[in-house]
Parts: sequence; structure tokens; C-alpha cells
Amino acid sequence: MSSRHSRLLAGLFAIAAASASAGAALAQEVVLGASVQLTGPVANTGRYYRDAYQLAIDKINAAGGVKIAGQSHKLALKLYDNQSDVNLSVRQYTQLVSQDKVNLLLGPFASNFALADSAVSEKYKVPMVQGGGASDQIFARKFKYIFGTLAPASNYFGSTVGMLKSLKPAPQSVALLYADDAFDVSVAEGTRPMLKQAGLNVVMDERYSTNATDFNSLLSQIKSKNADVVLVAGHETEILNFVRQAKSLAVAPKLYSFTVGVPSEDFRKALGKDAEYAFGMTAWLPTTALKDRWFGDAEKFAKEYKAKFGYDPDYHAASGAADVETLVQAMEDAGSADPQKVRDALAKVKFESLYGPIAFNAQGQIELPQMVIQVQGGAVAEIYGAKGFVKQPKYPMPAWDAR
Amino acid sequence: MDLLAQILVNGTLQGGLYAVMALGLALVWGVLNIVNLAHGAFIMLGGYASWYLYTYAHIDPFLGLPLTAAVMFGLGYGLQRGLLNLVIRAPMFNTLLITFGLEVVLTYLAQLVFSADFRTINPPYAGNSLAWGPVVLPLARLAAFGVAIVLTVGMWLFLLHTRLGRAIRATAQNLVAARLYGVEPRHLYAMTFGLGIALAGAAGTLYGTVSQINPYIGASLTAKSFAISIIGGLENPLGVIVGGLFLGIVESLTTLYIGQTFADVASFGILVLVLIVRPSGLLGKTT
Repeated sequence: MSSRHSRLLAGLFAIAAASASAGAALAQEVVLGASVQLTGPVANTGRYYRDAYQLAIDKINAAGGVKIAGQSHKLALKLYDNQSDVNLSVRQYTQLVSQDKVNLLLGPFASNFALADSAVSEKYKVPMVQGGGASDQIFARKFKYIFGTLAPASNYFGSTVGMLKSLKPAPQSVALLYADDAFDVSVAEGTRPMLKQAGLNVVMDERYSTNATDFNSLLSQIKSKNADVVLVAGHETEILNFVRQAKSLAVAPKLYSFTVGVPSEDFRKALGKDAEYAFGMTAWLPTTALKDRWFGDAEKFAKEYKAKFGYDPDYHAASGAADVETLVQAMEDAGSADPQKVRDALAKVKFESLYGPIAFNAQGQIELPQMVIQVQGGAVAEIYGAKGFVKQPKYPMPAWDAR
Repeated sequence: MDLLAQILVNGTLQGGLYAVMALGLALVWGVLNIVNLAHGAFIMLGGYASWYLYTYAHIDPFLGLPLTAAVMFGLGYGLQRGLLNLVIRAPMFNTLLITFGLEVVLTYLAQLVFSADFRTINPPYAGNSLAWGPVVLPLARLAAFGVAIVLTVGMWLFLLHTRLGRAIRATAQNLVAARLYGVEPRHLYAMTFGLGIALAGAAGTLYGTVSQINPYIGASLTAKSFAISIIGGLENPLGVIVGGLFLGIVESLTTLYIGQTFADVASFGILVLVLIVRPSGLLGKTT
């Protein structure tokens, strides 16, 4: 009996000692935890977050780190690979807060992940700033510890629909296709009323399963219903198949626009010149107009990113880097790394970043307008923004055999 | 009416691709009694092989197809002799485990070597199409369909009329009797597995030409090939063609009339129905 007691005591001492040493380590370093898709089907977007987090942390550390109440602390990143598996990512976030005792959380990529993982941050009351989930569902649950820096999914096609009204010849009919996950369903729900308000005739409104590879039937229907405009909310692999199969079935609407792909370099590379004329949107372009405390401006950020990782950043990367900056800004505002105090500072945070002005609404989501972009001559051209046309769109899209 | 015709054409062409994907799986399953869960991963590898041939050596995917198949045959032969022969007489569960492990290893090796970026084999004619009245026939898919038919019928003739084909069938039917007639099973098993993997490689080439390749396409392709093999039956390669076409057309019609999200429900629903009503496949023996 007594030996069992002494073993129990020894165990308690060991735990106490371990947590004390962890506490001591935290005094010097602020650890940010994240679980990101480094392998698995969405790894090619997940890498934006790994690279952006690391680049931003290195840059901030090089500038002296985060200054909390007059003292400088270095940042550290604790990153897990969730293998593109939502359940694993929830377990990893639980481990990050309960065992690794990280100070604050950065997000995963994709809405369905953020939706599940935000339950962990809420339960353990550790704030998570995530730049990978745009679905309005994430923010509709009155959670207090989740903040998002991607423009709301419901408004992804907002600027595109705005542009449709001023195109000549004016498009009449629209086909709306969307994948069956949290993000794309939110996009569709937000787009429907906008199309109605714009007086456009929605001839197709179809949901398809995530990771679908065969779009031939949907494309044949688009052709047979003669849709002028095709709006697709989906994932890059699906959009890739969609465009290739559109070409092989000679389906060329006046305009098509996609929620993903168009801003990404590997998408344009995989499609080659078939990527031409595709519309998309981005809330971010690497311009000098976006000033940043650490990087100088967005253009410099993009250059450093490309030099370090060998590929161009898109809005995912900028959003991820902004998440790190947002946490740093909030810690400095709060004068503390205490999760509760940082959470309160996040709710009030307001600063200029390489990604744009950062501030959150009552639900914790950023409000950013989307710019309409189009692939023109192998590069992304900015077409239409809040102030109207920036550059003339190539519209209507020519038939495939007339290119 | 035009739309229905187009949808049926789409389904048929998709079905041809399905058939060539499932052909290798059905062969290995029927003869070696191994359900190769890594089959989709081999399709993926075949796709990459052709992608490299096309991108760096500028060999047209359809011309490079025999080369890809030959490389994959060597890989399959070696894997069977070195690895799978160890479990050939073991309970089915062990073969499932080892091929599942192979699937995982191949997928993650592919990510390490090829990265998670997606690739497309995109020769200039890949997007071209022929018009047949109001119906559009995509050229690459049509060619893939042609290759699928040639491979399947070739496979069927090979099993029926060649010495090696007969030996393979004999081994599948009765191992002891086959050995008494001088069939060397180790070599024969490796030949069969090599053939199965070569077919997977060919399927990967066709898949990369009409769709896209990334390291993770394997698992879903295995599932589809599995369903087609069950629906068509393992008895002969023509069953696989029937299973593939059937599935392709059903999925297209489901998308048209019910909705794309129900396409998988339809195909796996049919799988269950076939298992209940005709357990040895649509073309299988009635027992």
C-alpha cells in the first residue's frame, strides 16, 4: 500500500517538475501551434500555410520577436501534419493545447478543417487565428475563440456578379455548380440571392461530390441549357478536370469563373494555355500598396517567399502570414501571451498588413472585398474591383477551336 | 434527346476507361486470389511514368503506352517474386494487409518524389473533339476507349489461345492439376501479377491523358476497380468491359436525372445488388 502511495507521489512530482520546466521555457519563447495538410490530397494548398507561417515567424524573430510588456520574446512554431484527415487534425489540436501547451493557435487549411478544429480552441479557450477556412458556418456558432482572415465564402462571387451586370453583351443565364463541402455550400448559398437580385436566370443549380473526376454529364447539360455564365465553387483538382473536359466536349460558355485555381501557379502550369480566359477571384495581390510592419509591403513579401520556397505565394499564403502577424499584434496590444487576454485583444485588433487591413467583425471574421481576376497571356490580370473595371476582361470567351 | 445521346456517349467512353482500370485488378484477383488494394497506386505510378515520358522525352502518351506497360510489368514481376509470394498461400486477410501496406508506401513515396502538385498529360490534341451530328466525341477519350477495347479483347484472346494464357487459367482453376502438367506456379504467378500491373500502368497513362494525376488518386481508383470487377465478374475479361460500361452509363444517367452527388451511391448500390442477386458477376456462371 505504502509503496503504491510513494509511486503515486513520485509521479506527481515528475508531472509538477515537467510542467514547471515547460513554464520556464515559455517565458522565453511564445509557441504557436498548428496542424496543417502536409501530405494527402490537399497538401499542395496546405504547404502555403506551412511556408507562410515559417516565413512570417522567421521574419518577426529577425526583427526581435514579439514585445510583450517591454520584454522581447522569440516565436516558435509547433507544426503537425494532419495528412488531410479532419479527425486527425482535431486530435492534433487537442494535443497541441492539452499536452504541448502551446500558447496560441494558428489554423489549418480549408473550411471543413477549421469548422472541426475551432471546436477544440473553443473548448480549451485558446484563441485560433486561421487563414484557411472561409465558410460562414465557422463563424455562425457564436464561438469566441475563432478568428478568420479569409474573405467570407458567401461573398466569393460578389464582385463577379457585380461585374456581370456591366458586361457587354450582357449575359442572361447562369449555371451554378458547387462541391458538397462546408466552404462550397456556403459559396452557393451566398451566390444564389445575388444572382436573383442581378436579374439573371439560373438555368442550373447543381451540387457535386467532392473529388469528383467526371464532369462530362454536367458539362453536357451546361451546353444543352446554353448557359452564358458558369460559376463553379470547388477544389483545384475538380476545376482542372472541369476545364479539360470542357475543352474536350467543346463547351465554351461566354464566361466561366472558379473559386480556386486561377490565382495559383501550379494550376496555370498544369493547364498550360487552356487556362486562358478563366475567371477567378482573389482578396489579395502582391502590390506595394499593402504596407507591412515586418515585410515592408506585399510585393516584398511575395519576393522573399518566392526566393525561399521557389514558387509564387497566392492569397492563402498571404492570409497565413497575416495570421501570425495578427497574433503578434494582439499579444503586443494585450501586453500578454495569456490566451484570454489575447482573445480580447484580437476582438479589437486593427492594423495594416501585407494581406490588407486586419480587423474582425462580431463573429470573428474579416471583411475583405474580392477582386475579379482572369488568366490573360499566362498571367493573372486584375479585372474588376470595388471601383469598377481595372483592366478590360477578355469576354466573351472564344470557342475552343477558335483560339 | 440530343442531351440524352450525349450523356450516353459520355457514359460509354467513361466506361471504357473504367474497364481498363479494372482489368488488371480482376486478373490478379481471379488467378492469384489476391485483392490488390495497391492497384490504384499502380495506376497512379503508370500515370507518372507516362507524364515523364511525355514531358521530358516528348513521347506521345499513346505511343509510350507499351513502354510504360513494360516498365510496370517489370515492377509487378519483381514485387510478386520478392514480396507477395511470401503470402500467396496465407489467409486472404494477410494479402489484404500487405497490399494495403504497399498502397500506403507507394502513395507517400510518390508524394516525396513527385510532390503533391497535380500533373496532366496534355498533348495538343487532348482537347480536340469530333462532331457526330449533335453529339461531341472527345478525341482523347475516344482513343482511350479504343485502347481499352483492344486491351480487353487482347487479354481475352491471350487467356483463351496462348500457352501461357492457358497455364494461367489452369492454375486459377486447379493448382494441383496444373502443377502435375508441369506448370511452375512461382513464375506463373509473377507473370500474372506483372501483367496485372502492366494493365494498371496502361490505365494510368489513359487516365492522365483525360484527367489529372496526383499521389492520392489511388484509393478511389481501387474502389472503383473493385466495384467494376465484382459487377462484371472475375470469370473473363469481357465481364470487366460489361461492368465498366454499365457503371459508366449508370453514373452518367444518375448525374443527369438525380444529381452528381448520387453517382457514387448508384454505383456502389449496384455493387451491393449484384452481390445479392448474381454473386459471380453479370457475366459470371449462374450457380
